[in-house]
Amino acid sequence: MEVARELFWNVGRAGNLAYLIMGIAVLIFIYALYERIMMWRRGGPERRCDRAGERLWGVITNVIGQLRVLRETYPGLMHGLLFWGFLVLMVGAALDALDHYSGLHFLKGRVYLGFSFITDLAGLMALVGAVLALVRRYVIRPRALDNKPEDAFVLLLIIGVLVTGFLVEGARIAVQAKEAPWERWSFVGWTAAGWFFEPGGSLGWHKALWWIHLLLSFLFVAVIVNTKLLHIISAILSTYFRNLKPQALKPIENLEEAETFGVNRIEEFTWVDLMQLDACIRCGRCQENCPAFLTDKPLNPKDVIQDLKAAFLETSRPFLQRLRSWGSEDQQGNGEGRPIIGERISEDAIWSCTTCAACIEQCPVFVEQFPKLMEMRRYLTLMESRFPQELQTAFRNMENNSNPWGIGMHMRGDWAKEAGVKTLSEDSDVEFLFYVGCAGSFDDRNKKVALAVSRLLEAAGIKFGILGVEEGCCGDSARRLGNEYLYQIMVQQNIETMKKYGVKKIVTMCPHCYNTLKNEYPQFGGDFEVYHYVELLSELLAQGRLKPSKALQLEVTYHDSCYLGRYNGLYEEPRRIIKALKPKAMKEMERSRSRSFCCGAGGGRFWMEEHLGRRINHERMADVERTGARMVITSCPFCLTMLSDAIKEKELEERFEAKDLAELLKEAVGV
Amino acid sequence: MAGVWVYAEVKDGKVKKVTYEMLGAAKAMAQKKEEPLCAVMIGKDISSLAPELGAYGAERVFVVEGDAFERYTTGAYTKAVCELVKQHQPSIILFGATINGKDLSARVAGRLGVGLATDCTEIGLDDQGNLKVKRPMFAGKVYAEVVFSDRKPQMASVRPNALGVPEADPSRKAEVEKVEVSVSPEEMGYQVVGFEQVGGGKIDLTEAEIIVSGGRGMKGAENFKMLEELADLLGGAVGASRAAVDAGWRPQSDQVGQSGKVVSPNLYIACGISGAIQHLAGMGTSKIIVAINKDPEAPIFKKADYGVVDDLFKVVPALIEEIKKLKAQS
Repeated sequence: MEVARELFWNVGRAGNLAYLIMGIAVLIFIYALYERIMMWRRGGPERRCDRAGERLWGVITNVIGQLRVLRETYPGLMHGLLFWGFLVLMVGAALDALDHYSGLHFLKGRVYLGFSFITDLAGLMALVGAVLALVRRYVIRPRALDNKPEDAFVLLLIIGVLVTGFLVEGARIAVQAKEAPWERWSFVGWTAAGWFFEPGGSLGWHKALWWIHLLLSFLFVAVIVNTKLLHIISAILSTYFRNLKPQALKPIENLEEAETFGVNRIEEFTWVDLMQLDACIRCGRCQENCPAFLTDKPLNPKDVIQDLKAAFLETSRPFLQRLRSWGSEDQQGNGEGRPIIGERISEDAIWSCTTCAACIEQCPVFVEQFPKLMEMRRYLTLMESRFPQELQTAFRNMENNSNPWGIGMHMRGDWAKEAGVKTLSEDSDVEFLFYVGCAGSFDDRNKKVALAVSRLLEAAGIKFGILGVEEGCCGDSARRLGNEYLYQIMVQQNIETMKKYGVKKIVTMCPHCYNTLKNEYPQFGGDFEVYHYVELLSELLAQGRLKPSKALQLEVTYHDSCYLGRYNGLYEEPRRIIKALKPKAMKEMERSRSRSFCCGAGGGRFWMEEHLGRRINHERMADVERTGARMVITSCPFCLTMLSDAIKEKELEERFEAKDLAELLKEAVGV
Repeated sequence: MAGVWVYAEVKDGKVKKVTYEMLGAAKAMAQKKEEPLCAVMIGKDISSLAPELGAYGAERVFVVEGDAFERYTTGAYTKAVCELVKQHQPSIILFGATINGKDLSARVAGRLGVGLATDCTEIGLDDQGNLKVKRPMFAGKVYAEVVFSDRKPQMASVRPNALGVPEADPSRKAEVEKVEVSVSPEEMGYQVVGFEQVGGGKIDLTEAEIIVSGGRGMKGAENFKMLEELADLLGGAVGASRAAVDAGWRPQSDQVGQSGKVVSPNLYIACGISGAIQHLAGMGTSKIIVAINKDPEAPIFKKADYGVVDDLFKVVPALIEEIKKLKAQS
């Protein structure tokens, strides 16, 4: 007997029926996928086809490599085993088919033995993964997972396919064992043969199991699109079509002429948004990293995606009916959907978001959760003027005085006059514009930081100037509160002023100014080289142009600002500066770098009351307390204010203080 | 017959203070124009108040009395003023920029077909004797100087507290001229059936002229009694910083600041409030700010006109004592 395996062994000509069943399953899959793609195309346009190489590389590392999935040990391992197991089984099945139909017949001898061993191993891996999933979902029951009947169905289907596969193999081996001892290499099948079958086996059982296995496998194929298994397709797509640009909100094009702003109906999202709804597998990682959810606010990013998906499926029903009746193009009109806001997503959820981007950062399939909330804020603010009442003041102040506090705009440069910092109107022959921002210009606490940055730049011999009274609010808060109109006005004024002075390089002290100037101003023709001071100062330290002489005799910790870290990847620069301060010890918080926990002020939350749930800044302060450090270092005026407030509110002044990195460096350099 | 007129608004049996302020400024104008200075008073049972306006320079007061004028209604009051204007042809009319004054002045100007400068902070005459006023625009960032052309009457409303009350001469009395004006229900337009006070008679923070505010330094809800007593003595309202509201010591409706109420009283007494920028944004435009705080570094002192660096639990009771003594004397 040859060392190989005969396809359709013991099944005979009846096996031809399998082709028919397979054909039906594949057709169901293809048609369902076609409908799904048409459903995604109900969304608006979005360009996500550039940089193909980079996109493909992301698919290789994150789909095939499971990079993001593996960030969490148990679920990562579980999914990895399932995914890689099935991947090998699929390749195995393809090789089997090739071996049979091409007539090459290469699966024989030692190749066959290796093939048998590897496919058995892969099947076992997948089975272990599926059991781990079962245990996690129904025994461990982590909060991140919600259970639906579908979850059990899909898991049992997977286990059914795998177990019947091994049983078929076992039944065959039981019959062949005597004349084919090399089948030991199919070690799982061999074991199954010993456990479940009489020596000599049963051809009848084999035939029955073969059909069951085949039917289950084709059922799997047929239900992919209409169960959570869809993510096999959609996760690859959502990874490929992921956002490659830095974290920036999309501009509303033709603001003056547009008739609607933002999103209140599902079709108003883009096709990428809609496809992402189908990529979400409800793993709950966004939820477990969301500062709003973790402080008992009525916002859960996972629910947002799932609730939008429910709206998407519901509004797709009439669309599909028309599609199936081969309705002409013009009948496939959009706009039949019901409003989302209030019916699917509560206003409280929409306003609870701090835009910290932890949801996007943690999502294994690159779903963009919070930008969808931002589109809904735009709808509420621009279409309905419905926003938390305290924002009325902030908006009016930004309109009148170009700062949210409403302090007279003529006082913007006052701190600099006292400090002898020049404005561009006095001397525009500078290397850097120091864009101070509202906090650094008006808030006494943060004026000290603005002064520290200025002194450090002077000490390093950098020629710089500020805009003084000509500076306007950067607009970050306005944009994230949905007030795109106000935002664009402020952006245009700032860009005009900067261009008037021929500004090329800008350094900011606020990560929010930094992000919008760097990543969003180019949308309006403002192309400048933008740095946050942590970049510039760490570079100046490296060049030896700043020489700290005093050591900081304290144990410290560093709070990563969302807009520096997750938004712009600046994790190491601030830590290099802290190293130069020579603290007694640098104690990282458990949630740091890309997992950093928001201070609660982003996304315009700084200008709102926090009525719901617990205080986010208190929660973050608890992280600080756990490190045992005496000082929490920040590099953002919002974070500094929020953490200072938390220290005061929790009456921890005796034990902790919050300071800005620039202030500390200024003290260490002694200027 | 020409004249410089001031509309004397009466509320709860008292002449509004802005009337005296306007009379002070109008007196000089009347002298320069060599025209009589008159006042217009409308209401029910108010004629006893009229002669007192002489103390501030009014020579004659036109009094319109009657049931129709018991409460302010746009229709009745507009008709009364317009009839008087038609009879006497004054050259200038001034109104206080109060809630009713703003309403009335706009309506009268509309009916007479003349211009109106609203919410002025300075009033005077140009060389030709035309009304010349200054009015803040864009939240006070610029001032517009407005000079009227010679079309009469020239009208303006004047912001309360902008001019200051002149010294009174109680020996002088104004001559009172009662004028009958009848108003039909059609002309009234609507009838005021009654008033309902919202908020249990407490003074609304945004309308209070005096606010006593407490912050984290108050240490507890019970200590706000002290501030309530002080506010009652001064006829003011009690406010709170966000810290005090967050701590649950005061209701949300008392919160002064960026995300609470924006207030601009004549006197703001901040007790145990450090003065974070979020708070300053809500009260920075108060006319006089008094800060009581233990911490001399507290930013509130930069903004305050008067500061007491001491324990508020010593200062506030002492203040209450002193005010009680003063009140007992007078």
